[in-house]
Amino acid sequence: MMRDLSRHVAHYTPLFGIFVCGILGFWLYSYDRKFQMAVAVAVAVSYVVWGAVHHYLHKDLYWEVLFEYVMFAAVGLVVLASAIFWA
Amino acid sequence: MNILVHLLFPHQTNNHKAKIIHPSGLSLVLCFVLVFQLLVRGVGIANPQVLGFAANISPSEVIRLTNEKRAQNGLAPVNYNAALSAAAQAKASHMINLSYWAHIAPDGTQPWKFFGDAGYKYKYAGENLARDFSNPSSAVDAWMASSSHRENLLSSKYKDIGVAVIDGQLSGVETTIIVQMFGTRAGDVLPTQPVAVNTQAPPTTATAKPTARSTQRPQATVQPSATPTQVPILAQVQPTATATPIGTPRVLISPFNVTRGASSVIVSVLLIVLIVDMVIISRRRIARVSGRSFAHFAFFAMILAVIIIMKAGRII
Repeated sequence: MMRDLSRHVAHYTPLFGIFVCGILGFWLYSYDRKFQMAVAVAVAVSYVVWGAVHHYLHKDLYWEVLFEYVMFAAVGLVVLASAIFWA
Repeated sequence: MNILVHLLFPHQTNNHKAKIIHPSGLSLVLCFVLVFQLLVRGVGIANPQVLGFAANISPSEVIRLTNEKRAQNGLAPVNYNAALSAAAQAKASHMINLSYWAHIAPDGTQPWKFFGDAGYKYKYAGENLARDFSNPSSAVDAWMASSSHRENLLSSKYKDIGVAVIDGQLSGVETTIIVQMFGTRAGDVLPTQPVAVNTQAPPTTATAKPTARSTQRPQATVQPSATPTQVPILAQVQPTATATPIGTPRVLISPFNVTRGASSVIVSVLLIVLIVDMVIISRRRIARVSGRSFAHFAFFAMILAVIIIMKAGRII
């Protein structure tokens, strides 16, 4: 797993960039619910796009794989949206 | 036991991938989160006294903290004004009675109407609103973190302040609303420069001389007539009366904390399953058509981090 990670630094760097931007967005705009929701959607969409591009470059992009990323993104988005709704 | 293994560990029965991180398993997780949220909302609507944001906020503490921030930025304190407090109280009651959360009411009532109704003829006026905060310092910190609210807090145009804290229901949830109103009466003279600097907390250049522009500020009815020569007294003026009773402390279950707790548990379980998945698949050298568990892990780690840093409370 770590070997895979070190081999694909160029792939994982943008992924971590997306996540760091997401955390910073929530942290810096603590009380701006609309902005936080926009950040959550942007991160979820970016995550799916990253997955698609990553697997396309590895030549193992299938609908099942893409659907898996969509489902992970959907769960993450709903969890964040519910917290934002009540915050 | 077999069900747990099937659900949480890579195994022959689940095609070497824990069922909970299969798309079908994730669909169930998604449904669970949605149903849980509907339940929380349903409980809130059916029993408004159960879910809500319990707070013990004193208007005088809000005023004290506001003046503390002003002092840290080299500004004179704003003085408690009974008329402004009455205006803030009227605005807060209006929001609860009409069940809205905005500067301008659904019926078009502007905030400035409450100033006039309370007999406060203003030259400058501003309004900050907050709700769902558990303590006054969080609310003041939130205002300070927002440029437009900070502009009101740190405006040298204001001399007076009134604060109301009121309990009530908004959207079926018990909450505490804070209304903070600033103003300067028509005819009052204002200091032209910041007059004090708290040496323990040096002022920042960005806020040492705030502009008078604010989205909440109405058109000035009178222009400043003269440059004052005297330096205002810096002694902090404490309110002589409580702007509004805030009722007895309530024991309520915060929907935010409930949601945050449940979300943390769900995300943590998924994170553990993903770690186990990565370790087992790596050790057994199993090849499979699947997304990257490490990427999923990083995604949910970010979600967990965000849930942890999120704070309750809203300002407008």
